[in-house]
Amino acid sequence: MTRRFAPPRRCAAGLVAAIVAVLGSTSAADAHRLKMFVTALDGEISGHAFFVGGGRPDGVDYVVRDATGVEVFRGTTDDRGTFRWRPAAAADYTVAIDVGDGHRVEATVAAERLAAAIATPPGEPPPATTAAASAAVPASGGSAAECPAPLDPAVVAKIVEAQVDRAVARQLRPLIEAYDQAEGRIRFNDIMGGVGTIVGLAGAGLWASSRRRRREGER
Amino acid sequence: MAHIPDGVLSAPVLIGGAVLAAGGIAVGLRALDEASIPKTAILAAVFFVASLVAVPIGPSSIHLLLAGPMGLVLGVAAIPAVFVGLLLQAVLFGFGGLTTLGVDVVDIAFPGVILAAGVRPWLARVAGRGPAAAAIGGGVAAAAVIGTAACVAAALALSSADHLPSLRVIAVTYLPLAVVEAVIGGFVVPFLMTVKPEVLGLSPAEGAEP
Repeated sequence: MTRRFAPPRRCAAGLVAAIVAVLGSTSAADAHRLKMFVTALDGEISGHAFFVGGGRPDGVDYVVRDATGVEVFRGTTDDRGTFRWRPAAAADYTVAIDVGDGHRVEATVAAERLAAAIATPPGEPPPATTAAASAAVPASGGSAAECPAPLDPAVVAKIVEAQVDRAVARQLRPLIEAYDQAEGRIRFNDIMGGVGTIVGLAGAGLWASSRRRRREGER
Repeated sequence: MAHIPDGVLSAPVLIGGAVLAAGGIAVGLRALDEASIPKTAILAAVFFVASLVAVPIGPSSIHLLLAGPMGLVLGVAAIPAVFVGLLLQAVLFGFGGLTTLGVDVVDIAFPGVILAAGVRPWLARVAGRGPAAAAIGGGVAAAAVIGTAACVAAALALSSADHLPSLRVIAVTYLPLAVVEAVIGGFVVPFLMTVKPEVLGLSPAEGAEP
């Protein structure tokens, strides 16, 4: 009867082939955890969330909260799991993504990462520093005789700092993204370590039960 | 999915899950004897590795749980097996939190164990009949996934109004998984019944071909 249904050996071979196909198609790096990459560039908070090894949360709500936990912005991720938001004032902001099935991740952007590009008093418009920069840069580039007006060292320092912050953030971004991806990778060594631990536990269990049986036998 | 991270669930849910899981682990360990330790370890290792592989689907990603087949083969011993697998995943890969370990064990292991215990009498009755065994194996596997989805949704809903589970996301992710697990359960159970019926707790004669 069983033979008519499916020869067990062929059954097993099919199952093994299916499992191998799944493992092969998704690569050993695939796993299960939601992570987030977030950065501040030119006063804008941006980044993306990703499942370690495979997929991005597509069309999921993200919420930005300030340090007191008050919601200041809510948006929806695109098909690459990305989000972006430009705050009006520099402060600590926390971005949280909740897929709705228990997958949740959040990350905080510190105020000082936004401060360089955003004027500290919230009332002042953010382009203030940019305007100062465009005015100041040609002045310093021109001949000194034509433009003797001395620049305020504090303003220059601010402009330089903002430009350096921007350049460093731009250069570091791919590096941090790659690091986040690599950190979440599943390593073969770890998998074998886990399997080895289970084998060890089984050995310990067998040893304990054989000792117990021997002691009972002696009695 | 079934790996709930730290900081999502509330304290009463975490404590309730931990107490239930500890009870289940104690019962499971008591049921272990020398003959069942190796198969428990093998299935714990299979669970550990298989549930590492996630496939993106919809807004989320899914992975195998194998709770149904584990419950059918191991009985209550599936609870400590799942616990060991989840503990290693949390420690080695950061999947799921350590505080949520109890809830995750309950979510994943309990539906499979309870359903398998429920169908065990039928299993002996269909011995030797492949399609019927496949239906039982597939049904238990799929129902265990739905049970896990219900437990996860309940744990999230009980914890906080902020983390209200999205029924759409859960339906989109768990229903395909239930289908996949049903196929696996439908293959594994008749196979074991023919080749090694004692693994399913049947006497060798019951599963033998006529």
